[in-house]
Amino acid sequence: MNVSADRPARGSPALRLHRELAAIWATGPGLQRLAAVNHSVIGLRFIATAFVFFAIGGVLGMLTRVQLATPAAAFMTPETYNQVFTMHGSMMLFLFAIPMVEGIAVYLTPKLLGARDFAFPRLTAYGYWCYLFGGTILTGALLVGVAPDGGWFMYTPLSSNVYTPGVNADVWLLGVTFVEISALTLAVEIVVSVLKLRAPGMSLDRMPIFGWYMLTTGLMMVAAFPPLILGSILLETERAFHLPFFDPTRGGDPLLWQHLFWLFGHPDVYIIFLPMAGILSTIIPVFANRRLIGYRAIVVSIIALAFVSFGIWVHHMFTVGIPHLALAFFSAGSAIVAVPTAVQIFAWLATLAHGRPRWDVPMLYIFGFFFIFALGGLTGVMLAIVPFDWQAHDSYFVVAHLHYVVAGALAFPMLAALYYWLPLLSGRMAVHRLSVPAFWLIFVGFNLTFFMMHLVGLRGMPRRVFTYTGDDGWTSLNLLSSVGGFIMMIGFGVVVIDLLAQLRYGRRVRRDPWGATTLEWAMPLPPPPYNFASIPDIARGPDYPVNRELALSLARGEGYLGVARNGWQETLGVHMTSGAPEQLVVLSRPTFLPLYTALATAAAVLAMLFHLYPLTLAAVLATVGLFVLAGQSAGLARDYGPMPVGHGVSVPPHTEAAGAPPFWALIFTLVADGTLFTSLVFGTLYLWIAAPNWPPAEIFAPDVGLAVVVAASLIVAAAAARLGLRALAGGGMTRGSIGLAILGLLVAIAALLRLIGGVVPRPTEHALGATAAALLTYVAIHAGIGLCFLVSNLLRLGAGLISPRRSLDLRLTRLWLDYTLMTGVIALGFVLALPALVAMLGTRS
Amino acid sequence: MSTRPVPPAQLWWLAAGFALWCSALVALYAVHAVGCAFAWPSGPLRLGLALVLLMHLVVIGWIWGSLQRADPGPDFGRVGVFLHRVVVWTMVAAFVTTILTLGPPLLLTICM
Repeated sequence: MNVSADRPARGSPALRLHRELAAIWATGPGLQRLAAVNHSVIGLRFIATAFVFFAIGGVLGMLTRVQLATPAAAFMTPETYNQVFTMHGSMMLFLFAIPMVEGIAVYLTPKLLGARDFAFPRLTAYGYWCYLFGGTILTGALLVGVAPDGGWFMYTPLSSNVYTPGVNADVWLLGVTFVEISALTLAVEIVVSVLKLRAPGMSLDRMPIFGWYMLTTGLMMVAAFPPLILGSILLETERAFHLPFFDPTRGGDPLLWQHLFWLFGHPDVYIIFLPMAGILSTIIPVFANRRLIGYRAIVVSIIALAFVSFGIWVHHMFTVGIPHLALAFFSAGSAIVAVPTAVQIFAWLATLAHGRPRWDVPMLYIFGFFFIFALGGLTGVMLAIVPFDWQAHDSYFVVAHLHYVVAGALAFPMLAALYYWLPLLSGRMAVHRLSVPAFWLIFVGFNLTFFMMHLVGLRGMPRRVFTYTGDDGWTSLNLLSSVGGFIMMIGFGVVVIDLLAQLRYGRRVRRDPWGATTLEWAMPLPPPPYNFASIPDIARGPDYPVNRELALSLARGEGYLGVARNGWQETLGVHMTSGAPEQLVVLSRPTFLPLYTALATAAAVLAMLFHLYPLTLAAVLATVGLFVLAGQSAGLARDYGPMPVGHGVSVPPHTEAAGAPPFWALIFTLVADGTLFTSLVFGTLYLWIAAPNWPPAEIFAPDVGLAVVVAASLIVAAAAARLGLRALAGGGMTRGSIGLAILGLLVAIAALLRLIGGVVPRPTEHALGATAAALLTYVAIHAGIGLCFLVSNLLRLGAGLISPRRSLDLRLTRLWLDYTLMTGVIALGFVLALPALVAMLGTRS
Repeated sequence: MSTRPVPPAQLWWLAAGFALWCSALVALYAVHAVGCAFAWPSGPLRLGLALVLLMHLVVIGWIWGSLQRADPGPDFGRVGVFLHRVVVWTMVAAFVTTILTLGPPLLLTICM
């Protein structure tokens, strides 16, 4: 059955290779499109959908500008205005900015790194459907007048049941969490793909700088989204089940929400900025006609930026009453974060200064970016200074700053990227007749709109106000701002017309119209679904020269994997640091499973929204079941051993390799999971130290015996998983160990449920009980997911998908159960220690 | 590929410097919050904060010095040299960031 993967016989037609690969990789017509898993298809869908939400969010922004253009305007009611500005912010951040970044990552990353696809195509598709359905729920709520109306960061107690009794806040919490699931799946996918799926020879020092940016962004997303997801879950459980995490009358604290939100929210700015900086670092050298200056310094600055961006979340909370000394930590951090950003900006300027720059439309937008981002950065440093922030907080100055930083840092590089990679998407070059006026309309409109907001903010106009009286000196500035908004909107309209014209009338090009040095230009335009007919061997880099000879050589199948084999979608897995070929990664084919799974997830979200809790549970179980079902069609049904991949190299399939992508995916998933767990522990400690109405009237004494049973059961399950793996390697019975692990987990879950039932004060009475119950529920859910792993193991053993060489499943299960044991012991220990911690509170000042 | 590949586990070193900065920030913030909540005397609290900061600086500085002295060795080739330099510079950056962001605030009024 195996076909040699060495170079095709001399004289064999390259065309046949392309036809064979196209037959394997293509997405079918008609309804089959819904089964697409290919990264190019999904990436373009992400980008197109993000643009649709951008358009909707843009219209909402214009509606706010109409309302504020004149004093005492009656264009909208206050209730409608609240929904409109909340949805404008939420859409732009959660449905446009982050998904746009993800779309660009999905579409471009494999191409730049010399891979044929992402590591987990079905997960990419699931992520897209989650995004689409979550966005549709939010948009639908807007249409029926029940959209979120508490501001895009949903501060409690405004968003609590008391002040927002309808479903508006639930729509935000559930819809955005749904979209965040998508972001998290893609984050894991991006990290694993950058680390494992690169062209052979592309060591980390030869990786295009875009790869470093995406790797860092992916890791930031892995750590940044869990606090928001946790916050949303806690707030939704407060709203739905009256658990008082944020209710100060019952031991909760509204500021806990702000901490959890901004632990996500501040890094999010850089999650949006870094991929755009990656685009700039890719495009600028092309137009400067020289290599990027400071590759290593940029890598250091990206790492610094990623960490420091997390450590300054409190700068959004300077006015909440935190002691000066603690504020100073975050103030200094907020100022110093400008340094790694400046390193990159100076590297770009140096590249331009030392090159022979040429002027084209992408460069126009890069010029716009420099201007706008510099202004946004400067106002950022101003706001980092606590006394200034106290004056400007919650004013339009902050609105202006965030638009300069987020909108400017995103929109201008994004449009530069759009014009730069349009030939890749369409195979046509820009015409430019409309491109230049469109740029100037956007640039002038943007600055007119948002610069005025600085001034009106300094004159004292607060953000989120529905109207103003007209005697505050804000009228003319607001009118100019609104005029600027319309100019900008006309500019975006011209861009759309321009792009459509180019898609229809642009001059056709074959390869690399810009003289670029990255691998995406070494493929036919537009790219085929398999990207490269054969995968290049990277001998130099990171500015790998792409020339016609290389492109033709790859098209002739002279690189790696230059042959179609077994109908498999193949790409190469490499060693993380050296880029040496390590494994043959066989990817999933098109399937409807991601769509069905996302539909089941959507059903769970909608059922929760309408308080149909039994249906919610059923939909969650269906989602989990579909994931287990998806596992049954993964992997290979027999051992293959090392297989030739070209250039005389043979590697095992990923199912038989030690560091297979799913193993690393689980590692990074557990990093995200661990961040969520840490946030939960932080939340509990925060309430203990800061929340009013502590200690509660009753302090519970947890059942130590039950806690020991839980810990012992988890130890048994983890040990059984190890025994099973050892038995598999030795050819022994694995099912007995799996059965023992299942038994251990069932006992642990039963004991955990009894522990949760015995929590005093009751979880609805005081935040102490609520947090204790949340910690125990976390462990119970993980034990439940462990059961799914074990059931999947049994099913796959029965289907012959697991063997001593194909032991990946059992290694994944072992990893999961080890994590469950570790967090379980910490959570149990913490819950047991809570009474002692509470007893200390008598001395709290 | 005549050289030995750098083990993937070594990549965690890229994050080590700034992870220590994060650790210092969180530890200082937590000790300060607990100290203020339980009305610890300002002298010992300030001293405790200074010790936490100093401990982190010593650790980062020690790693920096050790890395500076260590040679990535010819075994790991070009990739090893690249990663070694990046790790050393992240340590330098983390050390400076720790001093600048966490040092001067300790001179401020402690719990106001």
